[in-house]
Amino acid sequence: MRRLAGWVAGALLLFAAQPGAAGLRTGAPTRPLPEPAAILRTLLRAPALIDYEGTKVISTVRGRTAETVTMLEAYKRLGKLRLEFLSPESVSGRLVVDDGASSWQYEPSMHLVVRGPSFVSGVGRPERAEEIVRGYGVRILGREEVIGRDTVVVSLAAGRSGSHRRLWVDEATGVPLRTEERDTRGEIVFVSYFSRISYSLNLPPALFQFRQPAGARVVAFHLTGDPVATPSELLGLARSPVAVPALLLGRYRFHDGRIAQHGAFSAAVATYSDGISVLTVFQTPSSRMAFPEVGAPIAFGPGSARLLDLGYFRVVLWQRGGMNFAVLGNVPRTILLQAADELNAARPR
Amino acid sequence: MTHLAASQRLSAYLDGELGTAERRAVETHLRTCPVCRRDLAELEQVKTLLGALPEVEPPAGLFADIRRELERPTPVLGPLGGWLRGAFRRPAVVAAAALLAVLLIALPLAKGRIDRLQAANVGADVYVREHALLSATDPFADRAYLGLLIGDANVALVGQRRAPEDGR
Repeated sequence: MRRLAGWVAGALLLFAAQPGAAGLRTGAPTRPLPEPAAILRTLLRAPALIDYEGTKVISTVRGRTAETVTMLEAYKRLGKLRLEFLSPESVSGRLVVDDGASSWQYEPSMHLVVRGPSFVSGVGRPERAEEIVRGYGVRILGREEVIGRDTVVVSLAAGRSGSHRRLWVDEATGVPLRTEERDTRGEIVFVSYFSRISYSLNLPPALFQFRQPAGARVVAFHLTGDPVATPSELLGLARSPVAVPALLLGRYRFHDGRIAQHGAFSAAVATYSDGISVLTVFQTPSSRMAFPEVGAPIAFGPGSARLLDLGYFRVVLWQRGGMNFAVLGNVPRTILLQAADELNAARPR
Repeated sequence: MTHLAASQRLSAYLDGELGTAERRAVETHLRTCPVCRRDLAELEQVKTLLGALPEVEPPAGLFADIRRELERPTPVLGPLGGWLRGAFRRPAVVAAAALLAVLLIALPLAKGRIDRLQAANVGADVYVREHALLSATDPFADRAYLGLLIGDANVALVGQRRAPEDGR
């Protein structure tokens, strides 16, 4: 274990030494750093203005395991995405194509195509920059060169968690060339960076149209259930008493709800958003679902509780009052546990 | 622990899936609740019955015999009475009918337990997939990583799980 931890720390140090991680230039004397809202506006406008194609490297710590994934990423306005996975071997050859309305995944080892909804937003919303500056701790750390391009290093802190993301935003295009997630101790748990990027290629539309390989098996997984807009509507849909507060942690507002189903699985789902990040809460009666033995056990409440750490997402699962709960978010564990505490205190109806 | 909460946990209690605190709470409730004690006894009985059921092949001539009995006119008792009278003359028919009755009761219960385990098996993958899809609204979300997570969950939901490699 100590050896693995040492390797993980070493690997992350190595990533920290990649272009973009060190030696921040705190502003050239002739060129002042942009205001946080200004660089965020550039970033938020980019999906509607910029096409790119590049090689991306992602390294993340999942529980006790570190993994590095390399892929070709191509993006075309508005909301079209193509991912070709290169390594490691377990994902090599995987192709994901998203045309902004639907997505297709081809898994060569299984000769399988999975069709589902789009997961790419191509809408540029620069007006949200002010909202983000108000809701998050946003700081400009300096200016730095990444793969030969000038970037502005932006730090984002969610709430009072002390945890934050850092984005190296291409000053000219608004595309993040590097992203880091750190835990509450300041350790890097997720790094994503382009090792090469090309802009303004006017990428051909055919690149974002999926052509089904001959003879491939096709399955369709969609988000199930029509969404409802209020907690009371979700309470009406759920067949068991569920806890659906309108607000979590004082800033995550109820966004929508559904009844999710997949085979024998069924759950009342409530999505919360602070305008930027998303928390998703799943509730299923224990009588219809055994407790999922995933992740690692944690101390929380009187019953079983577990934490599944995917590096980028964290999942806290627990049981209370004959219900299985799960709350997910791209936020630190402490914030998820606070949300879990609030859900425990909320009265099921 | 309330009666409702305890009754919802009886199956999990029987399967030894509860944590220490919940198990103690259910046991405390059971000491004072005759309804839950009866429900628990019935669940135990069904579990015992399921475990003890032999694999029985129906006799070779069973269905021909039933058809012949059904087709024979019985003006006094009517068709059902005639079938019953004929059936009770043959112990194998009675045994098969009893087995059928037990299965009709036990199968839904067994299916409920299987569904419960299947739901737990896919639950975490559904959580991750749906959350990743809903995270598209986050302007700072890394699209490539969302694609990786959704892809891994899709593969798991069709029955194969990708083991992340540690990169060493």
